[in-house]
Amino acid sequence: MALLETQGLTKRFGGLTATDDVDLAIEEGERVSVIGPNGAGKTTLINQITRLLDPSEGDIVFKNESILQTEPHEVVQRGISKSFQTASIFPELTVEENAEIAALGAEHGSFRLNFFRHRNRYGGVSEATRRTLEAVSLWEQRDMEASALPYGDKRRLEIGIALASEPDLLLMDEPTAGMSPEETNATVSLIDEVQEDLGLTLVLIEHDMEIVFDFSDRIVVLNRGRVIAEGTPGEIQDDPDVQEAYLGGVEL
Amino acid sequence: MSDESANPADRTETATTVDTADAADTTETEADGGETLGGASSASTVASLQARWESARDRELTVIGLTIVGVSLFPYLFARAPVVSDLLQGYQELASLMLVWGIFAIGFDILLGRTGLLSFGHAALWGTGAYAAGWASANITTFPLLLVAIGVVTAVFLSVVLGWLSLRRGGIYFAILTLAFAQMIYYMASAPLAFITGGDNGLTGVEIGSLLGVFDLGTELPSVAGTLLGTWRYAFIGAFLVLSVTAIYRILNSPYGIVFQAIRENEQRAEFVGFNVWRYKLAAFVLSGTFAGLAGALFTIHGQYVPLSSLYWQTSGEVVIMTVLGGVGSLLGPLFGAGIYLWVEYIVSGGYPFDWIAPYWLLVLGLVFVTVVVLFPEGIWGLVGDLRDRVATRLEER
Ligand SMILES: Nc1ncnc2c1ncn2[C@@H]1O[C@H](COP(=O)(O)OP(=O)(O)OP(=O)(O)O)[C@@H](O)[C@H]1O
Ligand SMILES: [Mg+2]
Repeated sequence: MALLETQGLTKRFGGLTATDDVDLAIEEGERVSVIGPNGAGKTTLINQITRLLDPSEGDIVFKNESILQTEPHEVVQRGISKSFQTASIFPELTVEENAEIAALGAEHGSFRLNFFRHRNRYGGVSEATRRTLEAVSLWEQRDMEASALPYGDKRRLEIGIALASEPDLLLMDEPTAGMSPEETNATVSLIDEVQEDLGLTLVLIEHDMEIVFDFSDRIVVLNRGRVIAEGTPGEIQDDPDVQEAYLGGVEL
Repeated sequence: MSDESANPADRTETATTVDTADAADTTETEADGGETLGGASSASTVASLQARWESARDRELTVIGLTIVGVSLFPYLFARAPVVSDLLQGYQELASLMLVWGIFAIGFDILLGRTGLLSFGHAALWGTGAYAAGWASANITTFPLLLVAIGVVTAVFLSVVLGWLSLRRGGIYFAILTLAFAQMIYYMASAPLAFITGGDNGLTGVEIGSLLGVFDLGTELPSVAGTLLGTWRYAFIGAFLVLSVTAIYRILNSPYGIVFQAIRENEQRAEFVGFNVWRYKLAAFVLSGTFAGLAGALFTIHGQYVPLSSLYWQTSGEVVIMTVLGGVGSLLGPLFGAGIYLWVEYIVSGGYPFDWIAPYWLLVLGLVFVTVVVLFPEGIWGLVGDLRDRVATRLEER
């Protein structure tokens, strides 16, 4: 059985169907990209999986259990983490504290009555914090206030926060949006590395076709909320439907 | 004190962790894999954890020690010392009252300063603590410690309910909901429940027994303690202040401290790193309500009377002003905010040598507040911190 499955996932905003009967199965360790034109429903799909949005219809099964009734923080605790399309960090805290919070969330659980227990007692947290910040090359900047980081570094911190939550499945919504070509390259190789090191299952939303075709084991193409094609990069490249609907007939 | 004085020690901590990082780095390049990372450094991690834990203990003891010294010297300086006390026009009972409100304000800051939630209904918790202690003194027991316990427990129950209802909404709606519920309780106390609360007259007939059945709170402490602290009553309240500072310091250094900050900074992200944000907000509300109830009970023990106004919205506003004045998000700042507020309220409004501005004491308070907020957004505590940094850099330049 797949790590994550969506079954007939449908989300309607008034008259608009943002995702329409989406069936996905994502295997453990796989790298899947979700592509599609603006407004195709990619972000909406992710937001339903993280339980930020309630689906109108359908089911989401993670590790053989439906997470339809699960609250977002509990979804994270079960192992799904997400990096946001815009850098969503804790601006006035230091870079180190940003990662520490996420690492604490993973080690400590969603809530405990331990308000007289010193944080330092959670030994794994400082270890995980350091490992994460080294992985995203922000260890040197650990004492900086997060809001003072340059944009590209903020995005990397955002990815770091998502990683420090120790996910099994990482959902990334346009991790390279707004980055310079150098930053983009660095980020892609970063994702590449951590995916291999941690054996992560990755779902990537990305507009840059070069990255998508290089990176993915499998590509899912969404258009107007529907899955119009699914397959290896090679299959997608040759798919006439994709070229017609998504690429407007342009040769890849 | 909390954040600022924590820093030097933090630096030593990071120094130790840097060492481990370097050691791990070399192993990693040799082994060429992330897997070795954890194992290679685990021994030194234990050592650095040990060091961290010890420095944390030291800092905690420093904070507690300084608070004890401050609480012990304050009434002497304020009410009895030559020159200073004449300048300040202070007196013993006002010193006690400042501590009571101080407890209210430092507890309130858990919610406002740390978690970023503005409650406009904490009068309900303070007032309920005060009424519960007062009612119990007339009907159950006169032991001060038991009265405190009764006040606290009642306030905790009420804050669970109020928090549970008000935290349904965020931002300004939360403030309005707390205000509305608190005003509901005020009206309940003023008429339908007047047979318990004494209505507009307030709760009279409060009787406070002696501490542990031995020490009358109104009498003076023996020898030096008497000169420094004054009465048993002050010592009783002072002990609770020290206890409160210790407890809050602990809370801020527990996982709660950093989760509260995370919620203040970015609530959605806090949820999406796996924290049950709603429960933590409720916890912040209840924790601050606990100190409000404690302070309320002490207020009754101090004044031996509960005015109906203790439930009125103005009381909620006062604690907000005290906290902001002292400095939100600082452990001890709100104590100073409470002290200055009460000083203006009681001394400046009281006549000689302030007869010329006495009728305008509220205006004075307004000016003080505006000046502090505009010039020192981090409150009086921020000002103290700035001065200390400046002195420190001067000394370094030498
Ligand atoms: N909260 C909402 N309320 C109403 N409509 C929405 C909402 N969120 C998204 N939509 C609509 O749903 C459709 C899908 O949006 P979505 O953000 O999922 O697209 P996307 O594929 O992520 O696009 P992009 O590539 O621009 O990020 C769009 O037409 C959008 O306008
Ligand atoms: Mg999107």
